[in-house]
Amino acid sequence: MTASRKFHISVFVVLWLLVFGYESLRYNYLSRWFHADLPKVMFLFPPAGWIMFYQVGDADGRAEVWGRIGDRRELIDPHRIFATRWVGYDNIHRNVLITALDPAYASAFGRYLRRKFPGYDGFDIVEVWTPSVTKEPDRQIRQTIYHCD
Amino acid sequence: MPEPCDTNPETRLASCWERAFLAERPSLSLGLFRIAVAATVGLHIFPTFLQMEDNYLSTAFREYNPLFFTAGVLKWVDGNPDWFVWMMAGVFTVAWLAFLLGAFTQIAGIVMDVGCYYFYARNCLHIGTLSYDILLVTVFLMIVTPYPGDSFSLDALIRGDPEPWRRSRPIFIQRLLQLQVAATYFCTGLCKWTASGNWLTDNPYYYLMHSPPEGVIKAFSGRAFLAAHPDLCYAIGIGIILCEMTLPFWLFWRRSRPFAIAAGFIFHILLVVTMHVPTIFLFLFPPLLLLFVEPESLVAWLERRRERWRLQGPARLIYDGGCGFCRASLARVQALDPTGRIGPVDFRSVNAASLNPALTPEACHARIHLLETSGRLSGGFDAFRRLSLCLPMLWPLAPLLNLPGLGLIGAPVYDWVSRNRFNLLHRFHACEENACVRPDTPVR
Repeated sequence: MTASRKFHISVFVVLWLLVFGYESLRYNYLSRWFHADLPKVMFLFPPAGWIMFYQVGDADGRAEVWGRIGDRRELIDPHRIFATRWVGYDNIHRNVLITALDPAYASAFGRYLRRKFPGYDGFDIVEVWTPSVTKEPDRQIRQTIYHCD
Repeated sequence: MPEPCDTNPETRLASCWERAFLAERPSLSLGLFRIAVAATVGLHIFPTFLQMEDNYLSTAFREYNPLFFTAGVLKWVDGNPDWFVWMMAGVFTVAWLAFLLGAFTQIAGIVMDVGCYYFYARNCLHIGTLSYDILLVTVFLMIVTPYPGDSFSLDALIRGDPEPWRRSRPIFIQRLLQLQVAATYFCTGLCKWTASGNWLTDNPYYYLMHSPPEGVIKAFSGRAFLAAHPDLCYAIGIGIILCEMTLPFWLFWRRSRPFAIAAGFIFHILLVVTMHVPTIFLFLFPPLLLLFVEPESLVAWLERRRERWRLQGPARLIYDGGCGFCRASLARVQALDPTGRIGPVDFRSVNAASLNPALTPEACHARIHLLETSGRLSGGFDAFRRLSLCLPMLWPLAPLLNLPGLGLIGAPVYDWVSRNRFNLLHRFHACEENACVRPDTPVR
């Protein structure tokens, strides 16, 4: 291998290791140490480093979508809302529907629901909150976040 | 290259750097890993294509990731019309297939990666997970060089290299992938008890065991038992942190490496058996762990397999060694046969009739023949059909080649190619520099 090629590979390796190390530590460690929101390398690397199930609490939050026909309300199966099926796992169990709770998505989600379920007059987007899955698993607090008509 | 025993620190550092990143070593691990990466990308993206209206078209409910993409990119992608999205899906599919098969691997990988980014920007709701970010980092390293297309690829066939698995390349890509998976494990464990992680101060595993039926934990046997034993759950949590933080060291230490790889496999199998996590964790991480296997060990394993077949007596492929086109074709067959199941025999230098009386010079001159260890002899198009059953790398093509009735087309096409191999196909580049034997050249 030529010296030039070795040099180019070495430069790439050093740069890559620096960027990789920076992004692995930036959010949770470097930003705290420097008391500054350090910039992220866009288009590569997760926003907060390698954090898998790093913080799990006793509470649980989910979303429900209720369809309205006249005075009647019925719970819509989330698998009908997001019908994409995956090999080996279920995205609904990964709480993908909770994104819809954000009122910023109300308009877009309402449009989506009306297309998917034209038989309903409207929809209620409900947050289901379980304060403690270990002590009171049956106690669920339901709160309607927004309506789509 | 400096000797490892050199006492000069500078020279020793240079030597270590050379061995760690620059040493030229077989690239076949990357060839195999390419297939795993392509499979993972396909399993993650293609299910979303089955619901284009829900996921990507203007009718979809879409979520964006402004922490990953710039506002300009998100705005542009968001404004793309449906026909453009469909076109991107088509381009991605073609590029993915080419990358899987190793055809123009680097270009195909780059286009596939652009597709991964495009659909991530278009809608991150379903595919945008931490594991997908890990996949993107992996794909980036896989497209920096053409090395992943060296072996187990159509590129190897196009090159006509009969032993592509011996090809040596600088080891830096494989090493960076090793470091990536090691750092991922280590930081995952670290974040569980530092940063905002609560695995030491609380009992997350216990909470997970109590998550509702519609939650992320699957209904596996033993879950109820674990849910009733918080102390055991806490101990398992500590064990998980210890495994994640120490696994990198076990992986890099040669003696403990096989056990570390096995432990990693078990860890990822348990992960997908017990939790609804993206199957990237199953399809990408175990192959990443296998990158810790020394590539020379893989080559040695292939050598042992070749030796075993040689002793057993491989199937014989009787070809015309006087024909450049035939020799080039044979090199491609050999590239598809890393374990040496086929032994080539040039009928011009060996008396083929001693192998089987039907292998007269005239018969051998007319078409290629495959003599299997069972004694079964097939020639021409039928030989290719049997080859597709003999060589594991051709098994995906076997159902197509062995379709009933295909011989009606395949046999005449083969015979036409065979008859014209000395004239029309003489223009084939493999013939340009050798003295091709004309059909009227005497044969033994």
